[in-house]
Amino acid sequence: MITDVINWICANPYLVASLLLVPAVPLIFFNILPLLVVMERRGAAFIQDRPGPNRAGIWIPGLNVRIRAFGMIYNACDFVKLAVKERFNPAFAAASGYYVAGPFIPLAAALILPAFIPVFAPIAYSTADGVGWLHGTTIATHSGLLALFAFSSLSIYGIVLGSWSANSKYSLLGGMRASAMMVSYEVSIGLAAAGMFLIVGSFDLAKIVAWQGDHTWGIFAQPLGFVLFTVAMFAECNRTPFDVVEGDSEIVAGFHTEYGAIRFMLVMAAEYYHVIIASALISTLYLGGYHLSPIPLPVGQDFAVVNLDDRWMREHLGAVLALMLGIGAIGAAVFAGLINGRRVHYLKSGATDAQERAREYILYTAAIGGAALLMAVGAVLLAGWSPAPKAVVAGVPVWGGLVDVLTAVAQFHILLGKIILVAWLFVWVRWTVPRFRYDQIMALGWKVLLNGALINLLITAIIVKLVR
Amino acid sequence: MFPSLDLSLGNIYFAGLALTALCCALGVLVSRHPLNAAVLLIGAMLSLSGIYALLDAPFLAVLQVMVYAGAVMMLVIFVIMVLNRAREDALPRFDAWSVATAAAPLALCGLLAATMIRHPLQASAAAVRGEPEPIAERMFSMTGGGWWLLFVAVGVTLLVAVVGAVLLAKRKLDTPAEEPAQEAHHGH
Repeated sequence: MITDVINWICANPYLVASLLLVPAVPLIFFNILPLLVVMERRGAAFIQDRPGPNRAGIWIPGLNVRIRAFGMIYNACDFVKLAVKERFNPAFAAASGYYVAGPFIPLAAALILPAFIPVFAPIAYSTADGVGWLHGTTIATHSGLLALFAFSSLSIYGIVLGSWSANSKYSLLGGMRASAMMVSYEVSIGLAAAGMFLIVGSFDLAKIVAWQGDHTWGIFAQPLGFVLFTVAMFAECNRTPFDVVEGDSEIVAGFHTEYGAIRFMLVMAAEYYHVIIASALISTLYLGGYHLSPIPLPVGQDFAVVNLDDRWMREHLGAVLALMLGIGAIGAAVFAGLINGRRVHYLKSGATDAQERAREYILYTAAIGGAALLMAVGAVLLAGWSPAPKAVVAGVPVWGGLVDVLTAVAQFHILLGKIILVAWLFVWVRWTVPRFRYDQIMALGWKVLLNGALINLLITAIIVKLVR
Repeated sequence: MFPSLDLSLGNIYFAGLALTALCCALGVLVSRHPLNAAVLLIGAMLSLSGIYALLDAPFLAVLQVMVYAGAVMMLVIFVIMVLNRAREDALPRFDAWSVATAAAPLALCGLLAATMIRHPLQASAAAVRGEPEPIAERMFSMTGGGWWLLFVAVGVTLLVAVVGAVLLAKRKLDTPAEEPAQEAHHGH
């Protein structure tokens, strides 16, 4: 039995990979969440010109150093605090079942969403009867984008039911505002994205990304659509400037006023997870998804079934990896230099804990500088490598295991980089643009975004009809 | 060994989803609080969408989630929340009217069952599969057999309904001062 399973695994590595992707993709997306929280806190501090969370640390006895890890220890502390706090059921909650279930629904609805996002280009592999495809989308369906919208629209039930069952007027008002905003902006989201469907001619996210690899990124094909979609996505995530769902001066914390401890954490986790999904969707629809280049680069031999950018990446895999590692190395080196500058500055300041801080900063500099060095060495070693297809099966180039794995990893990292950049845009806007009034939000949604999306759709339809 | 699991796995999923759908539908009938009924109806719709997905019709499944579970039920729950807020007492489970109206769906069930016994379902993947492209082609074909004119007509009708609803709501909004004044008068 066990040998059967092992034999099956060895015989079908690509099938096993597709099975492993099922839990891996949502988990990896979920692991961006703590990074996003740190980014939000440090970003807020950076924009407001203050140090940000920089006190909590872990004492390492052997090295005699207190590691603060750029505010990440705060995350861990917050998690422990929220997780071990007493779970409190308010006696006034109307229907305790809905009150308990409320925070889980948005998170559960959000956790399925990464399954529809293509994280790498389809990989061709030779099988006994021709060629098989390993899809970068966990659930490869022709209605992927619609499914994504459908499941993300379910998350509003958690907010509405939770806010209603909490039996508090602040919660109820927050829930009403959330659902009103969701309804008004979902229309604009659909209409703005419809321009992209018209151009590509499919709801399949994999096809939309492949089209961008063959032609150009969505942001260049649909500039107005990109702006409308991004603004509507900001509203959908209920973040400032659209954060009327919670408002300290009017309705306290909005729909989650009556939630505490781990339930509050679930609410916040769902909110941040939605930001990640929104960033992933914006990257996938308008920023080329996992593609490296905004315009297709010349390839040696064109295979109609493989999209151009993917093909180009595989042909120049060494150069692409070297470029990515080089960018990483330069970024890490600059960061290490900045930390070293902090150390020198702090030593000069004559603070009482200067020696202790200096030891901590040396540790960071060594770790990040070492990583930069490793990446630079890797970049130099890989720069000259340009693999060729192992075989051509039924007109499809098959590249073999190592190239497939490295390409998939590289493409996934390109997508992750875009997601983090767009998530930074979310943070940036949150701490830059002041909050809108409720009537301003409704006016923007129904009078500006909706009309803009309709005009964009009309123009796109005319152009698509003329081109085809 | 794994591919052979496919069929039985599909059957297990189907059994689970069908059972969930039936239980939720039953729950809609017997639950006394309208909100519980609405939430159970969402469960039934989600299970139905799972069954559509098992039948190789992902587009239909997604539309089921998007339109019914997502939009229509959202509206229903919203209305229940707004209207039923004050009354905490549960509704009666069955009354004469509900028993009388139950005859219609039961008759429909009997009709469907009779038809299915006489002509067993032959599900061919090609016929069941509801992909966006063939549906769009069928609906919006300009050359013949398309329903685009009907589609536009339905759209215009809906627009008229929306405008009418706004007009009716506006008429009440335009005269806000009278209501409290009248009430104050009655109070005296």
